Amino acid sequence: MLSVDRESILEVLMSLIIAFAVGTVVLVVLGYDPIRVYSILFKYGYGNTDYLLKKSTPLLLTGLAFSVPAIAGVFNIGGESQLYVGAITALLVAHYTGSAIPAVIIGTAAGALLGLTIAALRVYRNINEVITAIMLNWTFFYFIAYLVSAKYANPKVPHESVPVPPGARIGGIFFIAVLTALTYYYVLHFTEIGYKMRVSGVSPQSARYAGFSPEKMVLTSMLLGGAAAGLGGALLVLGATYTIDTTLSAIYGIGFTGIGIGLLGRNNPVGIIFSSLFMSGLIIGGQWVELKTGAPPELADTLIGVIVIALAVPYAYRLLMKKVGQRGSAA
Amino acid sequence: MPAVEMEGIFKVYPDGVVALRGVTLRVEEGEIHGLLGENGAGKSTLMRILYGEIKPTEGRIKLFGREVNFSGPWDAIRHGVGMVYQHFTLVPTFTVLENLYLALLPLNPDITPEEVRKLAEKKMEETGLRVPLGEVVENLPIGVQQRVEIIKALLQNAKILALDEPTSVLTPIEVEELFKTLRELKKEGITIIFITHKLKEVKEITDRVTVMRRGEVVGTVNTGEVSEKDLARMMVQREVVMSLQKSPANPGEVVFRVENLKVRDEAGIEAVKGVTLELREGEVLGIAGVQGNGQRELAEALAGIRLPHDGRIIFEGRDVTSLGAAERYKLGIAYVPDSRKVGLVGDMKIVENVILTNLPRVTSSGRIMWDAAESLSEEVIKRFDVVAPSVKAPIKHLSGGNQQKVMVGREIVREPKVFIVAEPTQGLDIGATEFIRRTILNLRDSGKAVLLISTDLDEVLQLSDRIAVIYEGRIMAVGRPEEFTLERLGLLMGGVDA
Repeated sequence: MLSVDRESILEVLMSLIIAFAVGTVVLVVLGYDPIRVYSILFKYGYGNTDYLLKKSTPLLLTGLAFSVPAIAGVFNIGGESQLYVGAITALLVAHYTGSAIPAVIIGTAAGALLGLTIAALRVYRNINEVITAIMLNWTFFYFIAYLVSAKYANPKVPHESVPVPPGARIGGIFFIAVLTALTYYYVLHFTEIGYKMRVSGVSPQSARYAGFSPEKMVLTSMLLGGAAAGLGGALLVLGATYTIDTTLSAIYGIGFTGIGIGLLGRNNPVGIIFSSLFMSGLIIGGQWVELKTGAPPELADTLIGVIVIALAVPYAYRLLMKKVGQRGSAA
Repeated sequence: MPAVEMEGIFKVYPDGVVALRGVTLRVEEGEIHGLLGENGAGKSTLMRILYGEIKPTEGRIKLFGREVNFSGPWDAIRHGVGMVYQHFTLVPTFTVLENLYLALLPLNPDITPEEVRKLAEKKMEETGLRVPLGEVVENLPIGVQQRVEIIKALLQNAKILALDEPTSVLTPIEVEELFKTLRELKKEGITIIFITHKLKEVKEITDRVTVMRRGEVVGTVNTGEVSEKDLARMMVQREVVMSLQKSPANPGEVVFRVENLKVRDEAGIEAVKGVTLELREGEVLGIAGVQGNGQRELAEALAGIRLPHDGRIIFEGRDVTSLGAAERYKLGIAYVPDSRKVGLVGDMKIVENVILTNLPRVTSSGRIMWDAAESLSEEVIKRFDVVAPSVKAPIKHLSGGNQQKVMVGREIVREPKVFIVAEPTQGLDIGATEFIRRTILNLRDSGKAVLLISTDLDEVLQLSDRIAVIYEGRIMAVGRPEEFTLERLGLLMGGVDA
């Protein structure tokens, strides 16, 4: 029951064509040669497979962190902080134990716990998950900045945290991420709990009618989502950066980008594997465009923005139409 | 001069449903005019047309002798029409004053909150209608919120005030106060249209009453000249067509017993106020009543979706009051809700909808066995004549009748002992209606106990072996169909003991 249907693949392709057309117009207006820019973007963006896979790993996982809760009807904007706690706990566990496996497990658990906390506040205290998550994003941002610069700074490299000891560094992190995505796909479509999450997300009243609690599914989905982001943070430090810099530039923004990746992958774990690769390539290529043409970084961001918008528009449009349709038929 | 003249109003919805068939309504200036009818009689549609919310397919509207053609509610408001819905249109987190300010801004963009306060105080002085301007709306009792709505309409200079079932959300004391207010407003020269299905209220408050039935006007009478019985007869009179062949019932043991059940609705108001019922094997017990008299809360409490705060539910001698829905379904209770939006997940496939209440049958240690799920769905499709391209088709692509068949069918394949079904044929065409009704009778003939909750009086009369009439959360009477005349049913449904 693979639910990537032909219609949505066609839709994504159409959006891509429109996106690059609009991007071309933007480039021409700003006085850049679109062919050169695009060729740099794709040649360098997708040229280095190893780097691409490393870059994609945390994005794939924060994409899942957004999409799994979204399927159960929760807006998880907290992938950011869930990834932070995964990264810092994994780093510290690796630092103290010198071993990767406990670091991955505890990092994942930390993300899951944070996701669960946000969900619990919503379910039991009726506190909007978006507000909690945004506040926690910043709380953890500064807390971790404090930890890496004051408590766990690297005496040799002052702008970095203590490094992951060599014995705890791992490779093949992208495949762990893909495995997670496939597992989540299986959970969503082949297990009772996944089915219940999907029902709760589209129709909480149907869930209640069938005798299960949509609130429990909110908790479950945020637990799974938080775990993915936490794993993303852990894999990032253990398999790619081996350290966290004191400005947090290595971990900042991954959770937010994950939202776009989740939407781009149509909230489908398999789709998210592809959307994370696609987006990572654009991000990497964008940096090369900057380097090679001297264009400001905003140009690459604009281009990425246009592409993401074009891809998200049909999806957003359908969501909107559904809302309008519901109102129309209710009236 | 009549304040409102609506002539030859037809309303056909895009899906072909005819809501109004040439309705003519005349409301004299300064009177309280009742609009009485069962569900689906067209009262609300008529009022929404008057308020400019929907356009009539055909017909003319005159206010104070001048023909109008509203482009929307704001237009109607400007012409002096005010509307108070059952569900209020206030911003709950705003204060009363802020809400009034919000309502007046479109009419006068330069107005200040201070001016609104003065206007409101003056209006309260004139009408004796008191509302606390500084309070946040959501902290106010429902009755006061309703008064805010009325004040709002008056400040918008409403000359004609329509109230849609205004008493359905109120306590008896609040109803008294509302009636006092309405009489006060009448003295001020405001024309009031009072929509209701409660006969007592019609007698108590209105000067004249127009009775509607099935999108047509039965007649307009002076309230003083008719009895409640006359009104009941006008409201429900019909020829009951017994098109279904029905064998005599063979009631067996009592399988389901409800004792003094009390249930609250979402707002915390007691919607079911002590219902006691007995349901036997092999019989259909029909619950008749006008919508919104506690039927949904009752059904949900029986299914285990809503917890009653008092009373007991006994199934096969076992107290199941504290069990949740999934557990009750497992024991052999089935429930088909009144809304397909609740019972079905529109965006999901047929098979995913079939398993919604059949999960124990198609899962093994947490895994869904899609093969089993699909063959179960095939069974539902085959047994209940569902027209569908495949079990993987989205349920929303099916017609209403086929959706309903899936919703009913997936419960029946579970072989439940007690079958609770609400509004099973709402919005269905004749073919699907017959099929569903036939299915319910077959279920009864095979010895199941059926509780049919329906606002469609024809349906209750055709299918039931016993009828209970519900009004404001209480059972007014229980008996065999022969014990009820239409007139008596109408009286009971309208809240008059008979």
